[in-house]
Amino acid sequence: MTTTRSYSSTRLGALVPAAARPPLISKILISLAIAALALIAALGAAEAAGPLDDPAFAKVITCGACHGVNGNSKSDMQPIIAGLDAAYFKRQIENYATGKRPSPEMEPYAKQVQFLGVEWISGFFAAQKREPTPLRAQPEAVARGRTVAAQCVICHGESGRGDAARLIPGLAGQPPGYLAQQMVLFKADTRDPGDPLLAAKKALMRTIPDGQFPDLAAYYSSLR
Amino acid sequence: MKGVTRRRFLRSSSVGLGLGLAGGLAGCAASMKGDFAPKSGRRVVVIGGGWGGATAARYVRMADPSIEVYLIEPNKEFVSCPFSNLVLSGLRTIESLTQPYDGLRRRGVKFIHESVTAIEPDTRRVRVGEGYLAYDRLVVSPGIDFQWEQIEGLPAAKDSVLHAWKAGPQTVELARQIQAMPDGGNFVLTVPPVAYRCPPGPYERICQVAWYLKANKPKSKVIVLDANQNIVSKTALFRAAWQAYPNIDYRASNKVTGIDTSTREVRTDFDKVKYDVLNLIPPQRAGAIAVQADLAGADKRWCEVDHVTYESVKQKGIHVVGDATIGLPVPKSGNVANNMGKAAALSIVSLLNGQAVPIMPPGNTCYSWVSDREAIAVVNAYKIENGKVVQIEQKLTPAQSASVAQRAEGWRQSIWADMLS
Repeated sequence: MTTTRSYSSTRLGALVPAAARPPLISKILISLAIAALALIAALGAAEAAGPLDDPAFAKVITCGACHGVNGNSKSDMQPIIAGLDAAYFKRQIENYATGKRPSPEMEPYAKQVQFLGVEWISGFFAAQKREPTPLRAQPEAVARGRTVAAQCVICHGESGRGDAARLIPGLAGQPPGYLAQQMVLFKADTRDPGDPLLAAKKALMRTIPDGQFPDLAAYYSSLR
Repeated sequence: MKGVTRRRFLRSSSVGLGLGLAGGLAGCAASMKGDFAPKSGRRVVVIGGGWGGATAARYVRMADPSIEVYLIEPNKEFVSCPFSNLVLSGLRTIESLTQPYDGLRRRGVKFIHESVTAIEPDTRRVRVGEGYLAYDRLVVSPGIDFQWEQIEGLPAAKDSVLHAWKAGPQTVELARQIQAMPDGGNFVLTVPPVAYRCPPGPYERICQVAWYLKANKPKSKVIVLDANQNIVSKTALFRAAWQAYPNIDYRASNKVTGIDTSTREVRTDFDKVKYDVLNLIPPQRAGAIAVQADLAGADKRWCEVDHVTYESVKQKGIHVVGDATIGLPVPKSGNVANNMGKAAALSIVSLLNGQAVPIMPPGNTCYSWVSDREAIAVVNAYKIENGKVVQIEQKLTPAQSASVAQRAEGWRQSIWADMLS
């Protein structure tokens, strides 16, 4: 942070009501307090990093319109990308850009991410604290989904956190609408069609009736 | 250059001795008297609290809370143009598209619910009512205004002929008129020549009204008089959607030239068309304040800007964002205005802090509802090359679907939060 933000003593002085007119000793004490406050404020301002000090902040502003501030989407269909593993993020950008993971929304934007620097952007989102979806699922749907999820834990883990080493994403706290839609795409083999690494997953998805996807999605979105 | 000299003079005066200060500013006494909120630190003033302006105000405060931000907007609440066509079909209420500015207030944005009457670039002030507000950088996000004079008879009839192209009371009134129209009545919609706000907007509106009439007034028709040679945006997808609406009578290259409200007729070069309910969307230009402040080009329509910072090419220190701009290969959409607001805000913060301005190309995600449950979309991503915005790619949804409509709903929630929270 090279910029100095000035918090002048006059500005802080304005906080003291002029009409009060305190005796001399109080005046001195107040002046000292003001000087101390000004020093603290100046130090604080100098140390506090503004968002623009991270060059990646300006690279991700387009993303926020759909994926929320810092990637913490609050909507049902746009996934939370805050805290997403960087390697998984980069794989998805690659797949979107080539059309392997077809998405009319994400194909152009994936190319923009590549233009701006996928290393910067994946690193930025990986470093953001993930806030689970604020959308609350029906407890009955969550309970039904928990039963169905017994088959998913081998890969996605007991708590739905995934396994970064195997590029398996965490599902916990993702919005339910997004999760349910991805299940449909996997089952129909329209997401990354023909990918051998996903063959077993898709075979499993084909054994689950479509009607159970919303329950499964409700369960994973409820995990913390 | 005159302005710079004067600014320098003012700056040196204000740090000078009391005597010099009083002498130096004596000539400006009248305007100083109207300085209703004297500037104590760095200040950004934003004119217009729509998609571009609200976003700009929010992002300046996010990027550097030590910068004071004033947002000047006559309306007390934000009303979304995107999704407002669904009010015409009765699928949404205008209340559901109305949001308070509380989130921006919580971020420390100071509101003045008035109209700016003038911009003074030389002294870096805007005039509001009888007073003045000083700025270090100004964001002008004025939206659009209408060229009433382009259509004969319209200037006299502009208070009764509805455009409903700024979401609000006109949207509600047009919905009421459509609902009150007798079965068998003709709804006439006129599309202005490009460039205008929201290229796919008229065609989405046609879908929504046609959907409503098909279900509720099966003998009624939607007659479209389009000044353009073809559907301007998402052409094939709209054509496909209209297969479901035989009540649409679409007439391309039919530019409206006149209106007669006494006979309830609009005129084109070819004929006269009778209407029962009329939605005349007039030709457009940048919001009046931008034209008045000499931010628009020689044609007095749109404002040319730097593609990185959105600073006006005509006035230093003034950044223009949103539908009022021209020269970038982007549509006049809410999503683009949102992106421009961010890029202008972060450019301003960088400039005020003496930092390099980052490269922030825009993007456009644009959904259109073609029925009560299905939508289509177009997406454009851009890069910046040699200081100019260049499109990387445009992609359309392969077909209309309920899934796209669900994503449209998610986009609405996310981008509203990105402007207003």
